[in-house]
Amino acid sequence: MEPVKGFYGEFGGQFIPETLVPALDELEAAFENFRRDDNMLRELELFLKNYAGRPTPVYFARNLSRRYGVNIYLKREDLLHTGAHKINNTLGQALLARHMGKRRIIAETGAGQHGVATATVAALFGFECTVYMGSVDVERQMPNVKKMRLLGANVVPVEDGLKTLKDAVSAALKDWVATVKTTHYLLGSVTGPHPFPHIVACFQAVAGREARGYFEELGFLPDAVVACVGGGSNAMGIFQGFMDAKTVELVGVEAGGISMNQGGHSATLTAGNRGIFQGTLSYLLQNENCQVNDVHSVSAGLDYPGVGPQHAYLRDSGRVRYTSVSDRHALRAFRDLTVNEGIIPALESSHALAHVIENAASYGGKNVLVHLSGRGDKDLGIIEKQNMEDL
Amino acid sequence: MRGIYIVGGYPDRDAFRQRFADVCEAGFDFVEIGIPFNDPLADGPVIAGAQLEAVRAGITAETVAEDLRRLVNYPVRKYIMTYANIVYSTGMRRFSDMFGGVVDGIIIADLPNRMRDLFFGQGLCIPVIPFATLESRESDIEAAARSEADFIYFVGLRGITGSTADFSSPEMKEKVASIRRATSKKIVIGFGVKGPADASSALGLGDGYVIGTEAVRRQNDPVEFRKYLSVLAG
Repeated sequence: MEPVKGFYGEFGGQFIPETLVPALDELEAAFENFRRDDNMLRELELFLKNYAGRPTPVYFARNLSRRYGVNIYLKREDLLHTGAHKINNTLGQALLARHMGKRRIIAETGAGQHGVATATVAALFGFECTVYMGSVDVERQMPNVKKMRLLGANVVPVEDGLKTLKDAVSAALKDWVATVKTTHYLLGSVTGPHPFPHIVACFQAVAGREARGYFEELGFLPDAVVACVGGGSNAMGIFQGFMDAKTVELVGVEAGGISMNQGGHSATLTAGNRGIFQGTLSYLLQNENCQVNDVHSVSAGLDYPGVGPQHAYLRDSGRVRYTSVSDRHALRAFRDLTVNEGIIPALESSHALAHVIENAASYGGKNVLVHLSGRGDKDLGIIEKQNMEDL
Repeated sequence: MRGIYIVGGYPDRDAFRQRFADVCEAGFDFVEIGIPFNDPLADGPVIAGAQLEAVRAGITAETVAEDLRRLVNYPVRKYIMTYANIVYSTGMRRFSDMFGGVVDGIIIADLPNRMRDLFFGQGLCIPVIPFATLESRESDIEAAARSEADFIYFVGLRGITGSTADFSSPEMKEKVASIRRATSKKIVIGFGVKGPADASSALGLGDGYVIGTEAVRRQNDPVEFRKYLSVLAG
């Protein structure tokens, strides 16, 4: 999906302070060079292979499949270095930052996966690194905070708003306006102003390419590909591999939280409308006065009132179906995968699996690929607080 | 062009209209009125905090427009300042109907010059004030000059409102000079103007200034607010 002048249909664009415009142009030009430079592409490929651990396998989850009567395949991004798909993008953007001569990188993080992946590449390439994280998320994803600090990053807890991902993005953008000469903003999702959604989608596409190759070797394509959507980077990664295969249903699963009332969820594409937020025109959870709504999810990585512009486009074009599952269903899927397959998933990815489990009857006998975008070690603190027996 | 920025409807609607009158009586040329938004990317803690309070108190584009219609007879230019979502999600035409004939222009903090045409194309018919910044290239300044608006808003620092600018830096002087070469439009300097000394530096460089953070900091205290204006007025 190539943007046209920074837009996907009517979605996308650059809605940021004027001060950042030259930096976005510089980034776009650097990325276009990068994409055409065989040496840089080869370097990225080597890092993805030897450092991050690509390719990741597709695993047929025999026990879960038998239990639910659905052939469930898992794309194992949880096996990557740092524990999630985020490293695909941070390695790519770190090479871009080096190419542009930037010495400092900043990032936002919700669950901490992108923060850890950013701190990791900062250690690898010798960048100074600051990560903004809502103070509520600092508390609920403490293992990742400790990792980032060990890796040498400066983790700044953000005390504004609901103290979650939205507020971390704002803080990072405010830092960038002040430091744009020396700093690269290593944005972690397919959100923000053009060219970020485009760049992040390109760096994440590797997961979709690998999964497509796996199924082509088997001689068939899956009936459905299911991924969770917060900002939407892991979903864009896997969907791109199957976009042209019209027989493959693509399903994006948002966080239904504790209720679909205002403030009880973060299901932007399911319950929001068009709006401009943190750099991009997309769907947005907002009230009748055009103010951004409070959001909730048990998963810190999905707890966001906006969503990437490509997803808004794919929603309206009908190519991807977006739906949501509740906190409770996500937690049940988390437990199911853990006890039946011995794989502890991230709470984010558990939403994708939960959708398949909750709709097992309609997926009966079908081949469904679930994007397991990350692992759940970071979530043990949240899990300990839940009464898993109740589920 | 000397101006003061205040947050619409803050600390309450009556007090806001009174502060507006104070600015006019102190002899300023324009008032910039913020329509509050709860994710204000360009604002530091003072202005962002006032906006959040106003949002919680139920201030909307509609209530700000109502208040401004009651102030329409004050002989001062009026500009609104807000964020792209407020204009976009209100609807370009509805927003234009609300503020058309009431204000002289709009400053949209997260609408860079290259995105203006999108808003005009969707029916916005209020002049959008263009920006120039310390980062602006020649082509950016030329684009800013191609505007129907009264003036160019020069962002005097890299950062958010309430930060500190260096009005004596060669970089600032060169940038203002390059805007002068490109256009005869007036240059109003915003961001970083805090008191009389900055104000006179800004007047020396450009054609005007706007003070935001230091005014909003005093917006809920009528005595301090008027005292501050009189100090500025010299």
